[in-house]
Amino acid sequence: MRTTRTRRLLVAATAAAVTLGLAACNANPTTATTSTAPAAATQEGGTLHILTSQTSINWDPATSQNLAITTLGLVERRLTTWDAQSGQPSKVVPDLATDTGTPSDDGKTWTYHLKQGLKFEDGTPITAKDVKYSVERSFAPELSGGLSYHKSLLVGGDTYTGPYQGKELASIDTPDDSTIVFHLKTAFGDWPWIVSMPAFGAVPQAEDDVAGYTAKPVATGPYKVASTEQGASVTLVRNDQWDRSTDDVRTAGPDSVVFELGQEQTVSAKRLIADSGADKDAFGASFVPPAQLAQVAKDPSAKDRLVTSGAGALAYLAINTQAKGLTDVKVRQALQYAVDKQAFLVASGGATGGEIATTLITPGIAGRQDYDLYHADASGDVAKARQLLSDAGWQNRELRLAVDSDATNPAQGQAIQQGLARVGIKVTIVSQPDDVWTQTVTQGDGSKYDLALSSWQPDFPSANGNIQPLFDSSQIGQGGFNLSRYSEPAVDTLIAQATAETDADEAGRVWAQADQRIMQDAPVVPLIFTKNSFLHGSNVENFFIPAFPAYPNYLKVSLGQ
Amino acid sequence: MNARHVLRFLSTRLATVVLVLAVVSFLTYAVFVLLPANPAAAACGKPCTPERLATAQAFMGLDKGPVQQWWDFVVGIFAGRTYGAGAATIHCPAPCLGYSFQLRQPVTDLIAARFPVTASIAVGAAILWLAIGVAAGTVAAVRRGTALDRGLMVAAVTGVSAPSYLVGLLGILLFGFTLNMVPVSGYVPFATSPVDWAWHLVLPWCVLALLSAAIYARLTRAQMIEALGSDYARTARAKGLPEHRVVTRHALRNVTIPIVTLFGLDLGVLLGGAVITERVFSMPGLGSLLLDAVGSTDLPLVVGITVFSAALIVVANLVVDLVYGLLDPRVRA
Amino acid sequence: MTLDHAEELVAAPSSPGAAGPTRRETWWRVLRRDRFAFAGLVVVLLYVVVALTAPLLLDRLGVDPYTYHLDALDENGAPAGWGGGISAEHWFGVEPLTGRDLFAIVVLGSRASLAVGLGATALAVLVGTTLGVLAGYAGGWVDVLVSRVVDVLLGFPALVFMIALGAIVPLQFPHAPRILLLVVVIGLFGWTSIARVVRAQTLTLRSLGFVRASRGLGASPGHVVLRHVLPNLAATVVVFATISVPGAIGSEAALSFLGVGVQPPTPSWGRSIGDAVTWFSSDPMYLVFPGVALFGITLAFNAFGDGLRDALDPRAVRR
Repeated sequence: MRTTRTRRLLVAATAAAVTLGLAACNANPTTATTSTAPAAATQEGGTLHILTSQTSINWDPATSQNLAITTLGLVERRLTTWDAQSGQPSKVVPDLATDTGTPSDDGKTWTYHLKQGLKFEDGTPITAKDVKYSVERSFAPELSGGLSYHKSLLVGGDTYTGPYQGKELASIDTPDDSTIVFHLKTAFGDWPWIVSMPAFGAVPQAEDDVAGYTAKPVATGPYKVASTEQGASVTLVRNDQWDRSTDDVRTAGPDSVVFELGQEQTVSAKRLIADSGADKDAFGASFVPPAQLAQVAKDPSAKDRLVTSGAGALAYLAINTQAKGLTDVKVRQALQYAVDKQAFLVASGGATGGEIATTLITPGIAGRQDYDLYHADASGDVAKARQLLSDAGWQNRELRLAVDSDATNPAQGQAIQQGLARVGIKVTIVSQPDDVWTQTVTQGDGSKYDLALSSWQPDFPSANGNIQPLFDSSQIGQGGFNLSRYSEPAVDTLIAQATAETDADEAGRVWAQADQRIMQDAPVVPLIFTKNSFLHGSNVENFFIPAFPAYPNYLKVSLGQ
Repeated sequence: MNARHVLRFLSTRLATVVLVLAVVSFLTYAVFVLLPANPAAAACGKPCTPERLATAQAFMGLDKGPVQQWWDFVVGIFAGRTYGAGAATIHCPAPCLGYSFQLRQPVTDLIAARFPVTASIAVGAAILWLAIGVAAGTVAAVRRGTALDRGLMVAAVTGVSAPSYLVGLLGILLFGFTLNMVPVSGYVPFATSPVDWAWHLVLPWCVLALLSAAIYARLTRAQMIEALGSDYARTARAKGLPEHRVVTRHALRNVTIPIVTLFGLDLGVLLGGAVITERVFSMPGLGSLLLDAVGSTDLPLVVGITVFSAALIVVANLVVDLVYGLLDPRVRA
Repeated sequence: MTLDHAEELVAAPSSPGAAGPTRRETWWRVLRRDRFAFAGLVVVLLYVVVALTAPLLLDRLGVDPYTYHLDALDENGAPAGWGGGISAEHWFGVEPLTGRDLFAIVVLGSRASLAVGLGATALAVLVGTTLGVLAGYAGGWVDVLVSRVVDVLLGFPALVFMIALGAIVPLQFPHAPRILLLVVVIGLFGWTSIARVVRAQTLTLRSLGFVRASRGLGASPGHVVLRHVLPNLAATVVVFATISVPGAIGSEAALSFLGVGVQPPTPSWGRSIGDAVTWFSSDPMYLVFPGVALFGITLAFNAFGDGLRDALDPRAVRR
């Protein structure tokens, strides 16, 4: 999943702060320790404030791309969820279901049983039909926009258009009120992770409202939506129908949670550094921008309250392999040496911002092998790049770099620009807001860009999520994220082989093989593995970032007294 | 003023209002339809296949030409509008200024929710700048040539030259973060707490007022000087009227006309959303809603707010013209 | 906003014919006496000289605004050293996250601000004067048409449309120079106020004795406009132009501040200011230099414009 991060102050673009990505991190916990070690007992009470730059919160699971451990997870439970603790790899654990699923039929059929006694916020019991309905409505065109992995995995998913014309999805069975069975087209060992996504919650058909569900969902989690001030705030209060004994991952410490909307990234960071008044009970949902990271470095009290994740998402430069001149692998290899990764790292916040990257699979993913195919200084090897370019007979032309203005700061694009300027290649930065950028790079024939700056985290911690969406030839155009438009049959074969492989170790080995094979063709330049930093107030406890994803676990945060 | 005059005046002006709104809304559609982003793409999902995109487009009414889209919009203002069919039908009751698919609300509702914020900022600042500007300008005019006059006008020129966003941001840094005197961001509705409401607005009011007061001070001074040097002022003085009476009774009244004209227009524009101010102070008003809408290419929202702002401006023009007619004896009868 | 208010600050002389052709010595001497305005003129000229000679100047000094100096930054990307990295090598320090020389950025940034400011104003004056004269002189349906166009333009939220156009045009015309685009966009939203003032004055002029006489003698409208109307408008237009420049410069800065003006790596004060505000707590000098530069030119133009208006307007009170 692409990471989207809010831009700093005063940009004419929407901010989508609460982000969607998941990252597998290395097992090392955060470098900045905080006084809120996860071992602290959870105290109950108080109002937790969350500062976000979003201007509205989308509570509709069908259209949401939210993580299991952040915003939506406070209100919605799914069949499974993530147990994300500090210092350990994250695991998928049962949530509404009794276990993570029973596969049968060679992994093509998955059966789940719901826990007993689960209820919606209005007291009505949660049944398997409600889960089925929630999945079905995610197919409706009126509710498009959410995570869609399941849509191509379930039998009949490609043609199903939702329940609003009275049709059901036959591949989901509900033999009784507490059993649900999924029929997949092919075996998919990671299915337990798929059912932890938002669409696999429970939505009562009687309360469904296409237009209104995004603001007033029916809660199954520890909190329910109490009130919304348009553009200003959303308040959650305790859901008294939530049964604590059935929920292992949520501690529900605060009595209520208030999302303060429209708070610019820089302003949030500054407020949390200042830590005055009600901000002591607050934390920021947006990343701390580099300018404020510098400020924190000089402020001892703020330093204690800064939490930085391990190296998570891969920030990379995608090279459009179908663009003129860039079809030659030697030219692309030259770019590997020409790019100034050090400048990019500094532009991302220096050492706190990330680590130089040389592989495609992110740290912490099982089976990952570390290697450096185009070994050079962090600032590149200008001489070697020039040599390769002249060997390839490069006809110099201007290259267009497509940059998402909502997800990057300007210095990052400029770092790439100046790096390539050193070998005589002029780069024009085409900065576009998020949806325009997405359209430019994922739709059409790719004729509008030569390079693209992007960032990727897998939606679930498997190498599958690092490789397939970015390098499988089926993901070119039509909304897919193969931004380099890379098509190599040998790689497609490796991907298919690894996906079907049921033995985890063997699969890991094949994925690592694919990683190196792809880098031999140099369709992308891996830049850095990003580290995300967040700030919290002095009265906030149990605030930590797990190994995966690189975002704070909202489900465990509590307040002191 | 006789009634027939007023009626004729109103009807011609109303015709202008309608024309302007029609042209503004059409041009907005034209400009934003040309934008590279497909608004349907935002609602399309991941992965966005061409079929899904086409369905989303059809649902949003984007597959029709700009003229047809604009016409549907116009009809919707009077008769309401319906999108889609079956269980997923979306009703937008009249006056329907469009429907934002990204925010899943009728534009009219969004505007209604955000307008009090913008109005709070605009009206408060307007009163403040009018008071400060006119007072400073009058004092400078009455005491023209003195150090006070010089000082005030230098301050005014400085005020006019400083970029509002810079002053605002520095104000937040100084009064908000460093001195901790005022809240640094956010809006509290009047109904929730009048005190907090005012407290959160003090800094935006001061910043907006300071910069506009400078302009009004200069204007007032220029007009005042002219009025104080005019024939009837001299006659009044010759008749023995004390200076301060000359100022208040005669000069101020003459100054009122151009100032009211300007004030009406400024207020109208500001009510449509002080884009930069709202961004700087993180206020959820119309201006920041519009800015967000442009950034996310939420076409219906952009068109709806633009038409609303334009309506405010033309209405302000209209009111100003009417008041002008009332105030200026030369226009009457 | 300044562009829209400028018309109110230029009092239309009621009998320009009586003032006669501008007596050059007199207005210049008046301007000289107004020290504030004169200082403004000097500062403006200084900025113009710096902007024109910027590439040469930077070449001589051996600095440029494009080269990265990562060694001048600390591990967080902030400039190392006092005052944002002020040193013999970097007179104004360096830019955070890139290490680019701030002095070079400020000097070269003057080009964008002045080019757009002066260019947009020139365009606005050209279009506004032409349409204003047309509307005022021809009257009838031409006048109605122009007035309605002005009404429509006033109804647009200008800043937002500038942003939108800034996003569309580069995609439709990828090779259009950015500065030209900004000049056109800002100028297009700025001609309305001058048109209104010129129109009002033209109306007055048209009814004056010598003009009617000229027409009565059979002079063509073109002749009347060129020989009688335009020269008498000159003073107003010049003052108006001078007063409008700061607004245009401010608009460019605001657009760059919002990220849709001059694009990187071309330096721009507005963009630097926007960036610098977030760095203010750790590196205040990053804001001071471009901020003072922008403020300086705006203040100077305003002071000079005021003085010019006072000097040219026969009815203005002499200080």
